[in-house]
Amino acid sequence: MSNNLSFKEVFIKGAVIFNPVLVQLVGLCPVVAASTTLKSAVMLSAIACTELIIVCVIASAILKSIPRWARVPLYLVIGLLLICPVLWYIETKTLINLSLGMKIYIPLIAINSVVAVHCEQFAVKNSVRLAFYDAAAVGIGASVIFLLVGTIREILGNSSIGGIALNLPISFKGMLLPFGCLIILGFMAAGLKTFISKRHPEYLEVSAPVAKKKADKAVAEANEPQPVPVEVQITEPVETLKEKIDEPKTDADDIKIKTEAEIDEFLRSLGINLDEKGDGQ
Amino acid sequence: MSNNQTKQKTVKASKLYGDYLVMLVAPIALSVIFYGTRALAVIAVSVLSAVLSDLIFSAFLRKNFLLKDLSNVFIGAAIALMMPAGISLYVPAVASVFAVITAKIPFGGSLRAPFVPAAAGFAFATVCFKEQIFDYSYNSADKLLGNHSLGSLLTQGNAVYLDTINTFDILSGNVAGPMGTGCGLLMLACLVFLAFRRKEALFATAGFIAACVLYAAVFPRINANAFTSVVLELSAGSLLFAAVFLITDYAALPEKRLTRFVYGAVGGVFCMLMRTVGTYEETVCFAVLLANGFSPVIDSVVKKLPSAVKAVPFKRKEAEK
Repeated sequence: MSNNLSFKEVFIKGAVIFNPVLVQLVGLCPVVAASTTLKSAVMLSAIACTELIIVCVIASAILKSIPRWARVPLYLVIGLLLICPVLWYIETKTLINLSLGMKIYIPLIAINSVVAVHCEQFAVKNSVRLAFYDAAAVGIGASVIFLLVGTIREILGNSSIGGIALNLPISFKGMLLPFGCLIILGFMAAGLKTFISKRHPEYLEVSAPVAKKKADKAVAEANEPQPVPVEVQITEPVETLKEKIDEPKTDADDIKIKTEAEIDEFLRSLGINLDEKGDGQ
Repeated sequence: MSNNQTKQKTVKASKLYGDYLVMLVAPIALSVIFYGTRALAVIAVSVLSAVLSDLIFSAFLRKNFLLKDLSNVFIGAAIALMMPAGISLYVPAVASVFAVITAKIPFGGSLRAPFVPAAAGFAFATVCFKEQIFDYSYNSADKLLGNHSLGSLLTQGNAVYLDTINTFDILSGNVAGPMGTGCGLLMLACLVFLAFRRKEALFATAGFIAACVLYAAVFPRINANAFTSVVLELSAGSLLFAAVFLITDYAALPEKRLTRFVYGAVGGVFCMLMRTVGTYEETVCFAVLLANGFSPVIDSVVKKLPSAVKAVPFKRKEAEK
């Protein structure tokens, strides 16, 4: 990828076109499990975004030379090393109360597939600046989805928003269950696809069937039988051949005749009329 | 599903759901006899919600709205009949809207939906409004067991001995329970109608009922003989209704007869397992949805079976040589 990409270009691709949650479908476990309220969604977004940016920058800066098999566990270990002290600080030094439901899913958030995917796909192949841009874009894109899902689930499931009761006449407890989250994500993914098809249709053209068709075509072209080179057996001695090559070219050598029409034209150019000759005979 | 797209060309939705609606006339009439105009109100609200939600979302998505395919009417009526008569009217409305906008429209219509929309709507209502869905106290004074449904008795391990009660009350649905699904005799009549109109779909029904009967006989939930256990399990809740109306849904049904039987049997086993270990007394809709999910897998696995079975004697002969 070109290093001249601006933040806007990287942002549109990372946060919208290839949104990690709705398009790439990575990091679904934390969303489904932990984003049941707006508060937990804010927490989830903050942790995921910060972790993603720091790990991607580290991966781009110092992990490029490490073999691939060792890199992926390293991303996750770095993520855990970042998250654990922060959570310890929040638990012991601040008054922020992490709910039990949230605590259970913290390891799930720390060892996040979004981090592994973006470090491996982008960060280790690009400069630190671009890795930072990509991580920020992806983090923002994922966070927006976390917050939207958390808000919708809390409103529909608990009749409240951010812990403030809305006193709605009906609440749907099913939306707090995993299937409720998956249904919301499904509708959001459909909406995003519609948006992309209207605003950025060029990205939808590279769909899997099109890519497969292109790949098949390339394979078929590669497998086409190539013309076999004809082996010429030289029977004459080399000296005779050299003499032939050195001989001055005649006009006849330059004449290339292929069709009957060309033969007629050639004979006419020499002043011979075939019809008259035939009549005379 | 590509199979569903090819299937859709071979059948008319209006004819298919017209048949289902003809079959539903009798349960609707029976629910009106048992529960009066309240039953009609619940059914009307449910059907209207399904039709209006389809109309609105079709307009929003700029798609053609087809009232004449009758699928919305079937979805609304089926959901209403599986609910108790005394339920708040918004519950069937919400269930029908959910069925249409999440299980029908996103997949391109009823004939393409991989999950039965009516089952999805009722399952959603069960999860969200559990207390209301299983409250059968409305107009239950003259019922056989008062406001106790057969399902709740079986969940608690209480037996109803058939030799001490009027069995006809159980078979005719005169027991507290869903509005229009408890009458076993009517469901048998619907099965006969289905046999004339869509004989192929009966393989799924046969598999479903066979699995339930076998499970109830082998693992009874009550301290009674196998026959009593089977009769009570089949009469409880909406099991027979699901066997006739839900498991035979056209879009989710596998292609071959054997696969249809296996698909039905899988649904029946899920149903009985969830009745035994689940938290809800009525689990048939969840079982149908699970069977829907397994339908393509069952199709592909069972299709491979005959060749594998044929290969066994061949290999045996080779080994003997």
